[in-house]
Amino acid sequence: MSDLDKAIALLRACRLIPENQVRELCYKARELLIEEGNVVGVDAPVTICGDIHGQFHDLMELFRVGGDVPDTNYLFMGDFVDRGFYSLESFLLLLCLKVRYPDRITLIRGNHESRQITTVYGFYDECLRKYGSANVWRYCCEVFDYLALGALVSGAATNLEPTSATLADTFVDTDDSQSSTPATDYADIDIEVLNANNEILSRYRRRDRDPLMSSSPVRGGMSGSNGAPRAAGAAGTGATADSGGSASNDGGAVLCVHGGLSPLIDTIDKIRLLDRKQEVPHEGAMCDLLWSDPDEIDGWGLSPRGAGFLFGADIVKCFNHRNDLSLIARAHQLVMEGFKEMFDATIVTVWSAPNYCYRCGNVAAILELAEDGSNAGFARSNGDAGRSRGLPMPMPMPMPGIGPGGLQGQGQGQGQGQGGGGLIPRQMDIGHRMAPGRRYRVFEAAPQDSRGMPAKKPVADYFL
Amino acid sequence: MAAPQIPHLLSLRGGHGRGRGRGRGGHRFGHHESEEDAAAAKDHVVQATDGDASGSRLSAVELGYMDDPFARAFHYEQDSPRRYPIINRGTYVRTAALDHLVTRFLSAFPSQPKQIISLGAGSDTRWFRLVLADPSLAHRLVYHELDFSTNTSKKIAAMQNRPFVWKVFKDSLPEGVLEKISENGTRLESPSLNVHPVDLRDLAREGIPASEIPTSLPRLPNLDPDVPTLLLSECCLCYVSPEITVSILRTFTTSLIPRRTPLALALYEPIHPHDPFGRVMLRNLATRGIDLPTISTFSSRRLQKSRLEDAGFEGGQGAADVGWIWSKWVEETERERVGQCEGGLDEVEEWDLLAGHYCVAWGWRDGDGGEEESVFWRAWGELDGQEDEVE
Repeated sequence: MSDLDKAIALLRACRLIPENQVRELCYKARELLIEEGNVVGVDAPVTICGDIHGQFHDLMELFRVGGDVPDTNYLFMGDFVDRGFYSLESFLLLLCLKVRYPDRITLIRGNHESRQITTVYGFYDECLRKYGSANVWRYCCEVFDYLALGALVSGAATNLEPTSATLADTFVDTDDSQSSTPATDYADIDIEVLNANNEILSRYRRRDRDPLMSSSPVRGGMSGSNGAPRAAGAAGTGATADSGGSASNDGGAVLCVHGGLSPLIDTIDKIRLLDRKQEVPHEGAMCDLLWSDPDEIDGWGLSPRGAGFLFGADIVKCFNHRNDLSLIARAHQLVMEGFKEMFDATIVTVWSAPNYCYRCGNVAAILELAEDGSNAGFARSNGDAGRSRGLPMPMPMPMPGIGPGGLQGQGQGQGQGQGGGGLIPRQMDIGHRMAPGRRYRVFEAAPQDSRGMPAKKPVADYFL
Repeated sequence: MAAPQIPHLLSLRGGHGRGRGRGRGGHRFGHHESEEDAAAAKDHVVQATDGDASGSRLSAVELGYMDDPFARAFHYEQDSPRRYPIINRGTYVRTAALDHLVTRFLSAFPSQPKQIISLGAGSDTRWFRLVLADPSLAHRLVYHELDFSTNTSKKIAAMQNRPFVWKVFKDSLPEGVLEKISENGTRLESPSLNVHPVDLRDLAREGIPASEIPTSLPRLPNLDPDVPTLLLSECCLCYVSPEITVSILRTFTTSLIPRRTPLALALYEPIHPHDPFGRVMLRNLATRGIDLPTISTFSSRRLQKSRLEDAGFEGGQGAADVGWIWSKWVEETERERVGQCEGGLDEVEEWDLLAGHYCVAWGWRDGDGGEEESVFWRAWGELDGQEDEVE
């Protein structure tokens, strides 16, 4: 068993690895990440995850629900640390997995992967408490500076792959005329929502547009919660999400970013040109990508967070059109149902920290995008030339500098839409790419006591 | 950070014996074979919530959210807890909201003598802050703090041990008048500030076995039945049963402050226990041994208002949650200042959740004077409240 495998085994048991190993791990991770472009190319199939926030036991639950690394190809959209009590265990495990299986896990930066934020929201204190000095915090922050700012998923199928899942008792199909069986034709299924037991909770067809997600699609812990989750949705939005496809059959790529868009960024190429290897600035394009939120407004608005911006449906649709995207997947905002689609399914929030801060009562979700068979082998020139197609073949500890990203460069973006922005879409409501089929797996907080983990139950603060 | 404490109170779980728990300071904490001991242990947990409040206040003060020169003096632990921004902002709003109600009361007919009774006051600094800002207030305001004797003795000792705190108190006394402190140090009497060691349940006449009702009400020296009086309950009356709460209030509204006298209640309590956040909140507090027996009964702003009306505060009622108060009562410049205290607030969605689960409610009766002479009508009659929930 290699040192790295030993470290993974330790961390999976929620135990820490020695400081010198952390240092070595961070060094190797940096060597790997430095080769990645600001926008990492990722091929479907991939499972997209939102905020983790140090909720280690829930990360284990996520792997149980979504499949383990390297069997499942994962993309984590940042905010690994802060708030939860196991930021170190969570982040170091993800980092070990990244170094061990670089083709099977992609990590991009969240706004909490920052020196300033981690001193306020807990990660710094956790490092001091668990290692007795700020060294490990410093090593981790240096890794943060090298994390990619986004990822571009290509080759996602517009149709869902059939699963072996059974229907939950509470199954909701939007098409009443059909008998609901698991073996139903998946050709026109746009969205499928499953629970942690691999039971299908609901299914939404591409044809029927209206009722869909407007009522909470998520059952289980959420049922009977009369509106509270919605009140907790995106800041300032009372929006109901609905999934609208379009007339186009041509699937576009999916941009994954922690926060959202920036008024300074109108093409993905402009993200590629940023100098990302630094602390997250307080303003500017890099800051916006990590801090912004979609909102029910026109154009741009000020963010209540004090960093980044709010952006409306018109901004998203224009950006997606210009960049040949079918969907933006982002994290950053707590959504009680675990995920929330907005603006005719042009953008989705994925949230993967159940019962956030051990207090919020929300469920979590991950988003699975299947591989489009017809697209197999089609190399998209989005900077992922050297990336494997995700064969579940664990690589040995890679030598520094010879990671899978060795050939990745920046600025190979000629395949992405219309490039530098000459073309303005004639109409916003037509011609956007058909969204990929989305399979959401929804899960609740892990029952810590029953899993043989050293379960230190955290205390959430209330006003007393 | 405050959060990473491992709950050492887990052992208290399940002590549901709702005996009267006549804790008079003599109870030993830790082993509770008998029902009486279990009740005492529960009381101890409730008494200890005062440390949460003083710790949160100190955190908010040290991070610049608010100004309170007494926060350190009345935080009895040596630590300097640091809470998350969301809690600090909540502490700020809670304090600002109650201050707002109190200030409006004191400014209505400003020369008129007034009285404030703070239930479960614990380490609260409000009287000291008020009197420091306006020393003349001490001559027209009688202030009463009621709490368990374990908490009152700590408070009085803290006052005596801090010269600048003690000076603020001494300066509030009229020339030649001395305060009285009981021999065991649990009671302070004076024309300005009074600290009474009282188990509030001893003020209840209903909701408890008849045999346990004391024959006489606890002594509350210097309580004036004739001046307009404001009752404050910040996370206090939520720890006893709804019947006992109603009964305690009835004692105030009928026996202690007769109907002829204007009387009001301002309270701060958690609400909405039945949604996902609320359910987790109750579960989390239960692991600390904390029950909130009234929250299901007074579970919304609407029910808080009707509870006030039912209790005899018929002059008017209002309620608003902390999130609403933050955006409506707090001035924009102040919101900006507070918003920047820790470099902004990243917990936006969580704030909406948490702030929607705490409510400030107020209600009053006019007394014999009628509306136009009513101090509370003048103070709060035009105060903006939040609309009721859509249920």
